[in-house]
Amino acid sequence: MINHMAKRLIILLGCMASLAYAATPEKVLHLELSAAETGFDPVATSDLNTAAIEQQLFEALLTYDYLARPVRLIPRLAATMPVVTDQGKTWVFTLKKGVYFCPDPVFKGQLREATAQDVVYTIMRFMDPKNRSPYKFLVDGKIIGLDELGDEARKSGHFNYNASIAGLEVLDRYTLKIRLKTTDYNFSHAMAQPMYGIVAREVIESYAGDTASHPVGTGPYRLGRWIRSSLIELEKNPNFRHEVWDFGSGSDPKLGSDPKNNPDPADARVIAQMKGKTIPQIDRIDIQVIEESQSAWLSFGKGELDMIGLAGQFAPMALTGDRLKPALIQRGIRLDRLIDPSIAYYFINQQDPVLGGMSRERIALRRAIFMAQNDEEMIRVIHKGQAFRNAYPIPDGVEGSDPNYRSVLNYNPREANHLLDQMGYAKGPDGYRRLPDGKPLSVRYTTSLSSQDRELDEMMKKSLDRLSIHFESEKLKFPEIIKAERQCRVQMRLSGWIADYPDGDNFMQLWYGPHIHENNGSCYQDPVWDRLYEKTLTMPASLQRDTIYRQLARLLELNGVTKVSTSHIRNVLSQPWLLGYKAHPILPSVWSYLDIDDTQRPKP
Amino acid sequence: MIAYLIRRIWQMIPTLLGVVLLVFFLFNWVGGDPAYVLAGKMASPEDIANIRHQLGIDRPLWEQLWIFIRQIVSGDFGDSWSTHEPVSQIFRTRLGPSMTLLIPLMILETAVAVLMALLVSAFRGSLLDRSLMVASTMVMSISLLVYIIVGQYVFASVLGWFPVKGWSQQLSQNLTTYAVLPVLLGLLVSVAPSLRLYRTFILDEVGQDYVRTARAKGVSETRILWVHVLRNAGIPIVTNLLMGLPALLTGAFLLERFFAIPGIGREIILAVERSDFPIIKAATVYVAMATLVANLLGDMLYRVLDPRVNLD
Amino acid sequence: MTTTMRSPGLWTLAWRRLCRDRVGMVSLWVVLFYFGVVLLALGGWLAPDWTREVGVNYAPPTWWMGAQESENAPVVPTTAPDNVAADLYGLQDPLASEFAAMHAAYPNEVGLPPEPPRMQTLPLGGDKWGHDVLTKLVKGSQTSLLVGFVAALVATALGTLFGAVAGYFGRWVDDAFNWLYGVFTAIPYLLLVFAIAAVLQQRGVVTIILILGLTGWTGVFRLVRAEYLKHKSREYVLAAGAIGASNMRRMFVHILPNVSHVILVQLSLNVVGFIKSEVILSFLGFGVPVDVVSWGSMLNEAQNELILGKWWQLAAAGLAMAVLVTAFSMLTDALRDALDPKLKQ
Repeated sequence: MINHMAKRLIILLGCMASLAYAATPEKVLHLELSAAETGFDPVATSDLNTAAIEQQLFEALLTYDYLARPVRLIPRLAATMPVVTDQGKTWVFTLKKGVYFCPDPVFKGQLREATAQDVVYTIMRFMDPKNRSPYKFLVDGKIIGLDELGDEARKSGHFNYNASIAGLEVLDRYTLKIRLKTTDYNFSHAMAQPMYGIVAREVIESYAGDTASHPVGTGPYRLGRWIRSSLIELEKNPNFRHEVWDFGSGSDPKLGSDPKNNPDPADARVIAQMKGKTIPQIDRIDIQVIEESQSAWLSFGKGELDMIGLAGQFAPMALTGDRLKPALIQRGIRLDRLIDPSIAYYFINQQDPVLGGMSRERIALRRAIFMAQNDEEMIRVIHKGQAFRNAYPIPDGVEGSDPNYRSVLNYNPREANHLLDQMGYAKGPDGYRRLPDGKPLSVRYTTSLSSQDRELDEMMKKSLDRLSIHFESEKLKFPEIIKAERQCRVQMRLSGWIADYPDGDNFMQLWYGPHIHENNGSCYQDPVWDRLYEKTLTMPASLQRDTIYRQLARLLELNGVTKVSTSHIRNVLSQPWLLGYKAHPILPSVWSYLDIDDTQRPKP
Repeated sequence: MIAYLIRRIWQMIPTLLGVVLLVFFLFNWVGGDPAYVLAGKMASPEDIANIRHQLGIDRPLWEQLWIFIRQIVSGDFGDSWSTHEPVSQIFRTRLGPSMTLLIPLMILETAVAVLMALLVSAFRGSLLDRSLMVASTMVMSISLLVYIIVGQYVFASVLGWFPVKGWSQQLSQNLTTYAVLPVLLGLLVSVAPSLRLYRTFILDEVGQDYVRTARAKGVSETRILWVHVLRNAGIPIVTNLLMGLPALLTGAFLLERFFAIPGIGREIILAVERSDFPIIKAATVYVAMATLVANLLGDMLYRVLDPRVNLD
Repeated sequence: MTTTMRSPGLWTLAWRRLCRDRVGMVSLWVVLFYFGVVLLALGGWLAPDWTREVGVNYAPPTWWMGAQESENAPVVPTTAPDNVAADLYGLQDPLASEFAAMHAAYPNEVGLPPEPPRMQTLPLGGDKWGHDVLTKLVKGSQTSLLVGFVAALVATALGTLFGAVAGYFGRWVDDAFNWLYGVFTAIPYLLLVFAIAAVLQQRGVVTIILILGLTGWTGVFRLVRAEYLKHKSREYVLAAGAIGASNMRRMFVHILPNVSHVILVQLSLNVVGFIKSEVILSFLGFGVPVDVVSWGSMLNEAQNELILGKWWQLAAAGLAMAVLVTAFSMLTDALRDALDPKLKQ
């Protein structure tokens, strides 16, 4: 009898519970990725799309404040900012207590807390040759004792994760002391990268060979349904600690960098919408991979996507100039614009037999070629106004940028032609200029096979035609371009660089001599330049460092190595029912800080 | 017959070998070096060397070739170099969506093309014949790319009849919602060439003497068409169909890209762009085997349908 | 004395039949018109300079009622390039003397050279750079037709030759060609394209023709082989063998004419197919170089323009291509009907 009644009661309670659950519908965020993800093992990640997802699954020691501009580091897994001593050589991190990994069969039903030992393991993984990590450079050659472990592993084929090294010392369960070989004030930025999200050793070892499908982190979300290259679903991490949204207003960029006295009015809306709510508000995130921009845009228009990044060439669909079209404003769609911390720059290979070298004739030739590039036309026609002229190697928003820098390589075809005439580049019978010794001259411009790059070819042909220089196109697959650049076989190219971390050094290293065959695609090796650059490596961000940076930038122009052309504007559109969104220049995703108000959705 | 079958199967081996050798040398020659892109932004030459070592491409060529052959025999091509996903899993999961798109497309295209071909052949020379042929030719003359761009814009976005993109896990939903627009667009482009070809085949037969004889005997036009002509014209039609089957494996990459369908065509294009050799190896071997099998089936079918054909 | 009337030959009869076919004649005139345009363009009398930017960016067609003020009107940069006054931060300019001499010699050159005025509208509109779409269309026709036709000839010739030999001789010859066919069709198309492009190095129109021709013979091969398989055991072939005709004669004098309508259809399909493939090749990055315009390059550009509301390049190239392809196909049909000996009344 009692059994029977108990059963009925349970069924009744179950129904009531499910009704109650149904009464509060799930909040779902619908997003798109413009390129397929690669797999969710942070050590193997290098693309932004995957990093965006990992930002939500894993937690690094530090992160960036959501609202503060210029961007500011704040603790994430760490309890407080690290204690830095010994002129930037010793870093002590103390972890938060009560941070648990999301549930996984490997933990056998136990709650698994994140400890300092996990941080050590995470960092060690980057030096393991088997992982061939693209982000190893952030700790390569920096931590005492770690490189030796990597060398041993290369010889023996096996990385010794049990070794204790001086550079990674666990002081107690939650405290870690990191010792660096040299001063590096940027180390904190390395510890804020989503790739350095903390992982658990037993999980990695248990799923060896397939770690990409089993991301287990301490972040606000965990991986739900996953259809490779197509659909990624994130659901709330049930073990996530109690966190409350309480970001303070960032500063108004027009008024100065003091948030207390000059709060950014736009932040008030975000704070009003989100303050005091638990993180994360959104229950599920549905991410679809949509490679074609037209498809993504049409989908957003139908309300199937909550947020979309608008590529430059599609900007005129939604924007007139820098404002949203009235039809979209009426629907309550919001536009967030920010300056991408990236640069687009032309370089000419300094080691090229025809165009390279430091003789005055060659310098003049290169500078003339740079002066024939019409950046305004490129901005107007190719980027549809979603970029602006930036001549400085360090873009806006990155420590060390200089908005007052003026280029000596601005567009000036007349002067460029006079210069070439003066230096002996006479025109041959076919109307094209030749080298001073009479040999034929042509510029080989390397671009990829994509449709957008065809526009770059057209622009370059126009520019070289202005100088009566013969244009030659080299079209390679993107991996081939990288290889050719690394081998100093690319004659001229429009390259780009986006900040890994918001410090100018990340950009200036692009022309450092020892980085030839790595990132120095210009293959520039100048002892004077290198010595000046090395001085900046031990300086913190300061006026003295800025002075040297200006000289470095000017040298690049005077020697005809590089012309920095533009920086881009990122446009993000969001639907009216998406709450709390402010575009962040560095964080690859901010989904845990958002909320959805379904009442604002149009009724179907 | 059996002897012929055995001989043909035996001959598949050199073909497969030829394919293997060709794709191996093509890839090593022009396929590109994946190490540089996998290495990330700040890789030193040592890092690049390490990656090449991990991928196994620093080993001597003959060793790599031997590994390739072992992989074919075992059916395990390893993991994708860029995503670490097992290649067999990639094919297993992506083949479904491609098939969901292409099999309905093939069935519809054949049915429509054959029916229309019979129709225009029956009324050959009439206004119906002419106008249908002109119309189908006009429809065929526009590139699939244009159809996709305009079609997606007009039918999905402006009119809202179909979703703009997407794919679900249930076959029924896919067939009725997501695959409809891509299949229709694909149909526009593929019906007309088939129609023209099948019309040629059918008219070929209609002009034969046995048809005149049948007519003289008083057989109805319908019976002539459906029973006699179709059976003879069926040979090249079926050949056409069978030989086109291996293409199912490579998928319709344009449709897949624009409609965000996780199919195999898209994966293969991505693999070639990224120089992801394991996927390219697997795709080539699978397509090669499918082509050979399809060829064989086609020839066997000849024998069954047309006893005059001497395959030796 | 009796005089025998010479009976008209096959081609004469065919021509007469063709003349009676109204659709065929219309198609013929359309195709001839296109070829005429191509010849004029080749000779330089028509569309001599499509690379001149005569219009504003995205200039709308003159006759279009919905034309709005172009959002991309050419803007003369307001800031003069001030390369001289920039701070050198204590460094030396290696070219200081050259610039000094330049400014001494040309003191009045300030700012940028004036740009010639541009048209606000063009007959068929303008593309993103301001090139005249009509001019591009004419020049593009020349390229596309050339590419399509020559590539189709290459592919059809190869496919017919291989298919005839394979289908006729059978046995190990057939196996060898089937081996080649299997190998060619198994390799992912993109890899083959890369391979051919890598061998040929330069990226001209010839490369595209060879890419299309060398990858496109498989369809013809398969059909011609099937036909030869079917025909080689037919009575008339056996009869020809009985009276002593050699293999070559049987293949190309006896069977080929009976198969020619299939080949002709394939040729026309190939011309059409390759003109369309050129569009796909452009999409993949293997299209014509930047100093050449084709329908493929126009459609590829137009791909992103429709969504911005600029439809005229897409419409122009699409329609031009559609009309030619339709006419060409209809013409081939009419030719086939005209040539069919079985239809002789």
